[in-house]
Amino acid sequence: MDYKVTAEDKNATYVVLPAYNEETRIQPVIEAIAEKGYNMVIINDGSSDNTLDVILESKRKYPNRIHLYSLILNRGVGVATQTGFEAVLKFNPKYVVSMDSDGQHSADDLEAVIEPLVSGRAQAVIGVRPLKDMPKSRNFANAVMNFLTKIFYGVDVSDSQTGFRAITFDALNKITINARGYLISSEFIREVNDNDIPFEEVTIQTIYTPETQSKGTNSKVALKILFQMMKHKLFD
Amino acid sequence: MLIYSILFPILAIIAIIVFFFRFRSGKLSLSSFFIWSIIWIFVIIFSIFPDSSMVFARVFGITRGLDFIIITAVVLLFYLGVKLYYKLDKLEDDVNKIVKEVAISNEISLDDEEEK
Repeated sequence: MDYKVTAEDKNATYVVLPAYNEETRIQPVIEAIAEKGYNMVIINDGSSDNTLDVILESKRKYPNRIHLYSLILNRGVGVATQTGFEAVLKFNPKYVVSMDSDGQHSADDLEAVIEPLVSGRAQAVIGVRPLKDMPKSRNFANAVMNFLTKIFYGVDVSDSQTGFRAITFDALNKITINARGYLISSEFIREVNDNDIPFEEVTIQTIYTPETQSKGTNSKVALKILFQMMKHKLFD
Repeated sequence: MLIYSILFPILAIIAIIVFFFRFRSGKLSLSSFFIWSIIWIFVIIFSIFPDSSMVFARVFGITRGLDFIIITAVVLLFYLGVKLYYKLDKLEDDVNKIVKEVAISNEISLDDEEEK
């Protein structure tokens, strides 16, 4: 890292966290982010468990770091992230990060992910998971999704399905996200590429647990994404 | 007379009446009501005079009248399926917009929670 991320930079960074039924996992994630001095916009995606109460419990500890919004219906990770991206604008952030709230991503990586933005080398960053760290089933699904992202959106990235991404305020205003579900990962990359926003890949660590394994890009989700990509390509 | 040549016209007339009431209550546009009425009128004609479908079949190069009716029905169903899909898609977009709007304009503060 050539540039030192200061406390001021961290304070100007807002982390968008979409959360759906994460009552058992979200608290350590939020508190680790708050401890490091970042701000957060958390979107409860119509959870049917106690996610909202758990987030409020953390908000009591860090009232100024956490901004909480709640979707009255579960609308999917895409809509929740879109809501976060829109809500975050009123706080005038310099940098906006979005990451998973299930503990799959580590708050330790935040600094590395925003560093290219802070130093001015890039205006968008995607946090890529090393393929070798992924379980085999995921590995294959991700390779297929990378290939499809390349074919449909014309962007070659090493991890198209990552939920860890960062973008500057100005660049965020240029992109439009319409995806409702997991297509958001590929769509973010397409939007960044189409708007000529300089971007970088940063290697991040991924923590796979049996719980996080059950979420994310499995073959059913992959098929859904494929269908949505084709629809985008044909009708948008 | 075969059963279908009595049953289908009755069903078609009921359908036209239902569509007419939907049109009158503003749930159906005049053009949709018109198109649907034509479809139902054809159902009546084909049921009472099955051989008349041959005339249309020949225009499209189809040998049997019944084949023409089946193909038309399949095309119509496919069209309806696609139309419904787009309508549903648009509705979902609208729901998302509303849910998003409601969430963004109601930031949850700790005071809200204590008021509960």
